[in-house]
Amino acid sequence: MVAITNRTFALLVVVNVIIALVVWHFLADGGLIPTPIKIGKSMLVILSTSDFYDNLFISLGLTFKGMGYSILIALLICYLSLIPMFKPLARFIVKCRYLTLTGLIFLFTLLTSNGHNLKMSLLIFGIVPFFVTSLLSIIDAINEQEYELCKTLRMNNWQTLLEVVIIGKLDQVLEVMRQNFAIAWMMITMVEGLNMSEGGLGTMLIKSNKYIDLGTVFAILVIIFSLGVCFDFILKSLRNWFFPYTKLQIRK
Amino acid sequence: MILHNKEDVILKVENVSLTYDRPILRDVNFEIRNITRPNMEQGQVVSLIGRSGIGKTQLFKILAGLIKPNEGVVKIYKDLHPVKAGEMGIVPQNYILFNHRSILDNLKLGLRGSMEKISEKDGLNLINEYAEKFGLREHLKKYPMQLSGGQRQRVSIIQQILTGNRFILLDEPFSGLDPIIKDKVLELLVSISLINELNTLIIVSHDIENSMAISDTAYILANQPDKNGATITETIDLIEMGLCWNPDIKKNSNFQDLVAQMKYRM
Repeated sequence: MVAITNRTFALLVVVNVIIALVVWHFLADGGLIPTPIKIGKSMLVILSTSDFYDNLFISLGLTFKGMGYSILIALLICYLSLIPMFKPLARFIVKCRYLTLTGLIFLFTLLTSNGHNLKMSLLIFGIVPFFVTSLLSIIDAINEQEYELCKTLRMNNWQTLLEVVIIGKLDQVLEVMRQNFAIAWMMITMVEGLNMSEGGLGTMLIKSNKYIDLGTVFAILVIIFSLGVCFDFILKSLRNWFFPYTKLQIRK
Repeated sequence: MILHNKEDVILKVENVSLTYDRPILRDVNFEIRNITRPNMEQGQVVSLIGRSGIGKTQLFKILAGLIKPNEGVVKIYKDLHPVKAGEMGIVPQNYILFNHRSILDNLKLGLRGSMEKISEKDGLNLINEYAEKFGLREHLKKYPMQLSGGQRQRVSIIQQILTGNRFILLDEPFSGLDPIIKDKVLELLVSISLINELNTLIIVSHDIENSMAISDTAYILANQPDKNGATITETIDLIEMGLCWNPDIKKNSNFQDLVAQMKYRM
């Protein structure tokens, strides 16, 4: 494969996007699907209303809160999985990835006191199995020699857990957060559709869909996509900033 | 022969056997004595030599107290108490260090595990002293991944020295190194053995020439005909043979003959 510089790659991305937009424009012109220009105009309208920012902050708040709770629950489950008693629980939660949320909405509605809690619990239930799966694979991949090194350095079990599993893998926890942020961001519009009283980007999407205002729908999708890419970049930069060693490669 | 005394037993391996799905080690017995030389402070270097896959790494872990044998015991120090994990330093073949910590922090962990508690300032001075001695001073702020294999090996060895362990086990310390670096590693290991009278390096390797070049005693781990599981088949007292403590030993024809013979006897 030919190696290319970051600058060349960025240039290629721009060229590809321009080609895609031009093709899109000519294919969509006069049809049901809005053209890029129409989406652009809808975006400007959306961005100029204060209503959009209120909805955006509601969605962001819900996502961050959901992510925060999910990572704490997932970390607790994964650290506990090192104790044999809790291993089956962790493995069961991994399998919960195959459970569909749709069939459980009624149950969650019964178990929660209001719409906000319903959205939050569904979000957490949807994210935690993916977090646990990724985190367990990190723990499983720990080299046994790291534990042995701790023993020779006379660390007790708690110090070993702290050094090898908690501190030693913190950079990878952030990477798991980055990868799974996409799942949370994708789910947010779905759970917001279940309870629209609080608002949010999901509510905006559903309302626009209802009136077949496809220009606005596509504009919101573009905003959601752009924000997702932006957060991905921020989380990646944070990882490199907090844990500079992650950028290093082993020298031979 | 160079004047020396063989004093107390400081490590004794008694009837060690290990079986997984098949016998790995059988009735392994050997001992290491504190060797003293007049007007000289010098530790011991002992080699456990065997072919690849013979069970050396398992014996390495048993000696380090990391795994328990099915039978037998490893006793250490003058009181000959059974070894516990943490009483022997280990330098694995791939020089494991904590990649999320700088070299300085990795070495501080060695000090933190030390039985002798010293102040932070004295600890830092000690680390700087070792780093200077082993050419790592300018690398202290780097991460392990930024160092070469040889440099990581030195950090790993210093980390174990800082714990205060007098025994340091090295698994295949010459593996994957070019001949020039191998000679530097040999010099390094000899210099570590010279730091303290009780420092005892146990090299577990299949590299006969390099292991024996710095050892005072070599034990051969091999299979015996019609018996399952490796055991110590031969003890080579390099001091008695006059093939010890000589920096140019590799050029000695008797040493070369011995190495050549060993290849057939393993």
